[in-house]
Amino acid sequence: MRNSLAESVQRRLQDGVSSARRLGAAAAKISLHHDERTTCGFESGRLKDTGGRESLSFGIEVLVGRRKANTSGNRLDQLDTMIEHAVSLAKVGSAAHFDAYPPAGDVTAVKTHSPKTLGLTREQMIETCQRIVDAIKAYDSELWINAGAERVESESLLVTSGGVCHTGARTRWRLGAFVQRTEGTDMVLTGYDRSWCDLNEFFDPDAIAERIVGDLRWGQTITDATPGKCKVYLPPETLAMFCHVLQLGVNGRSVAKSESPLAGRLGQRVLDASVTLVDDPHQDYASGAAEIDGDGIPTRRFTVFDKGVLRGFCYDLDSAALAGAEPTGHRGCRPYNLIVAPGDRSSEQLMAGIDDGIYIRHLIGFGQGNVINGDFSCNVGLGYRIRNGRIVGRVKNTMVAGNVYDVFGDGVQLSSDLDHEGRFPHAVVDGMSVSRAER
Amino acid sequence: MRDELTSALANARADYAEIRVETEESTSLAYRGAEMERARSSTFRGGIARACTKGGWGVVVFDSLDGLGEQVAEACRCAALVGKESTELADVEPVVDERPATLERDFRGVGLDEKIELIRGYNEIVLGADPSIESSNVGYSDAFRTVYFANTRGTYFMEERPRVLCAFSATGRDGALVQRAHDSRASATTYAAVLGLEDAVLEVARRAAALLKAPKVEGGAHTVILDPALGGVFIHEAFGHLSEADFLYENPKMRDLMVVGRAMGGKDLNVVDDGTIDRTIGSLSYDDEGTPAGKTYLVRGGVLAGHLHSLETAGKMRAKPTGNARAIRREHPPIVRMTNTYIENGRATRQELFAEVDRGVYACDMYGGQTEFEQFTFSAAYGYRIENGQVGELVRDVVLTGNVFETLNAIDGIANDLTQRQRGGGCGKGGQAPLPITCGSPHIRIRNVVIGG
Repeated sequence: MRNSLAESVQRRLQDGVSSARRLGAAAAKISLHHDERTTCGFESGRLKDTGGRESLSFGIEVLVGRRKANTSGNRLDQLDTMIEHAVSLAKVGSAAHFDAYPPAGDVTAVKTHSPKTLGLTREQMIETCQRIVDAIKAYDSELWINAGAERVESESLLVTSGGVCHTGARTRWRLGAFVQRTEGTDMVLTGYDRSWCDLNEFFDPDAIAERIVGDLRWGQTITDATPGKCKVYLPPETLAMFCHVLQLGVNGRSVAKSESPLAGRLGQRVLDASVTLVDDPHQDYASGAAEIDGDGIPTRRFTVFDKGVLRGFCYDLDSAALAGAEPTGHRGCRPYNLIVAPGDRSSEQLMAGIDDGIYIRHLIGFGQGNVINGDFSCNVGLGYRIRNGRIVGRVKNTMVAGNVYDVFGDGVQLSSDLDHEGRFPHAVVDGMSVSRAER
Repeated sequence: MRDELTSALANARADYAEIRVETEESTSLAYRGAEMERARSSTFRGGIARACTKGGWGVVVFDSLDGLGEQVAEACRCAALVGKESTELADVEPVVDERPATLERDFRGVGLDEKIELIRGYNEIVLGADPSIESSNVGYSDAFRTVYFANTRGTYFMEERPRVLCAFSATGRDGALVQRAHDSRASATTYAAVLGLEDAVLEVARRAAALLKAPKVEGGAHTVILDPALGGVFIHEAFGHLSEADFLYENPKMRDLMVVGRAMGGKDLNVVDDGTIDRTIGSLSYDDEGTPAGKTYLVRGGVLAGHLHSLETAGKMRAKPTGNARAIRREHPPIVRMTNTYIENGRATRQELFAEVDRGVYACDMYGGQTEFEQFTFSAAYGYRIENGQVGELVRDVVLTGNVFETLNAIDGIANDLTQRQRGGGCGKGGQAPLPITCGSPHIRIRNVVIGG
């Protein structure tokens, strides 16, 4: 950062916590977030814009009796006013199930700040996007191509009345592209992007262009999917999308409120025995890496499903108290960085084992239905038919439906090879039903 | 503020520059289950400067209002790095105007205790409606946003954009089966809009309980009648987004596809986007480029009649700006968005639409929808079987999908009962969500719609 704001205001936030106590709060915490970002965007294959952003925000939470309230803002000159407002609001505020923020615990150091990422210049971002655009144009000059890059440096500070005073610094880059091919009323849309805290080999314009061109090549020919139940191949990013439903299921708040279908199922086999999910906030430079949660509780590596058996729910301080459980250091009761354990056969072998099925690259409207129950029913935005272990064309006007807990409850095959972040394998599942409109 | 913004633009070195500063104060309260879950308030201020030189844009987002001139200068420097062609922004008559909100009952004058008591009462209705109701989510929120805008063409406006919202949902559970129902009301004019919703709240709770016993709808192609809420989502998602010219203006094949004059449905089909409707949550006096809001026919008599534009898309497509460049908050640049989008009334009665369906599905209300140009998916909140022209058994998991061009042509009945309700949620695009919009429709009947199952 040009100036470390977090360091300069640390004393002020500590004073703010003391001030909240003097005003009648039993406990208080104040967080601050400051970031600076540089961006560039290509539209229709040409450099369209570049710019920057600096933003600051703070959040206050206070407990008064067994009630709490939150206020937030971005003007530090209003901090005292917002503290007073929080204390006033807490008197009629939401139910609190804890009495105090815990003292500072043993924090595992996680790398999230990279000087290499800081060295990424605007010019390099523009050049890299141009390289992606050129590579895709070389495949088809009539495509509508958008690309973009971003570099962010941020700092955060958390001060609690429990004695936590934690500063964090993070860098992050994002690089991606999105293309559209239009032929009459037939359109193919695909995109691919990457993000990471360290500027390493993941920052690879060729990999992004190759992935997109690969989609376009596979999608040249249109074919029909076979209606009914069939095997479905999920590349890592699609598997990650389905895992989002599992994240909702293990959300400790939803469990405590009896809204999750997984409530009461701890220790039961919920998923296929091939499925082990671990939340690892300590993976250096991962986008979800974190040392503490929003209450100052140290994060930890956490097994969510072990060989299909539900092993734990994600709790923050308040939700854990509500559920009568121990807090697990999960901000918002959500996993930070889910990792699915690999299987023992390669993705090529999994594909080769499919006689007739579909490959889902992207779904439209996933998560819009009764997603907490695991139900999904979506249009296949981009998908392919697999025949005799090979992709034979793109499917259109095709819908898949099922329930995530059923689909992943049995007959799941996972690949030994993982995505570039080492988090998600490829998967083959049974149990989705496929329907389509007649062409 | 006018002097500050005008002064900041005075030395702008660009073909065009603008600056927008916003303040927003908001309150959010919610019950979830038996307890109050959320009590929040916030105050934010900040802005964005944009400049265009030789067709390239520089965009700078800031929180501090110190040094606004430097923010504009930085945007101009960024634009100069990018621009290599020509700036083509449509002309709009400059305006100088201030549009304070006129609230019939101002939510800022209502005490927190009263707001909490309101949602506490609704929450009790949800939790007491049926033994199968496990949880609830009843929320109240309000926001008062003030937009200050100036550009190098001499436009300056201030517009206050208030919004109050009450959203309520019920979660029913039977073993591992969980079903939800929800509804909401929103207003840009009065706190009274969130009062007296007891019947609507009870209906939501009873529906969540009933959905636990409802069978899934059978997958496959059906004749479907959409109720006005879902018809509105359909036209917003499936066609409205296709009409947004930022998807078209530099995409020759899409321009060919969406050319004005192209047949888009039966002759009774008229689709409108109208930001001038009196003070709805989707309405505005000026868009976030200073263009007055307008009424645009997207489809007229079954023929594509127009697109929605920003200054740039209108400039490059030689069209008139329509007042649809909108930003969701201070940190976002304006992009082409809808306002109040609806299908106009047809000539049939609702009864006539149903009478001609031997077997079909009546799809009601919405969970949400998503479109990817020609393909769409939208989720009904619930549905009923239609048998011999009569509304029958409640069914769940009614998710409709299709190709927009084929589906518009498959509309074979439009009733005369257009309804547009102001609700929560909103539209998402380009990382900006939820943008306040409304959408509406009469009952419409569509043949051969694919429902997943």
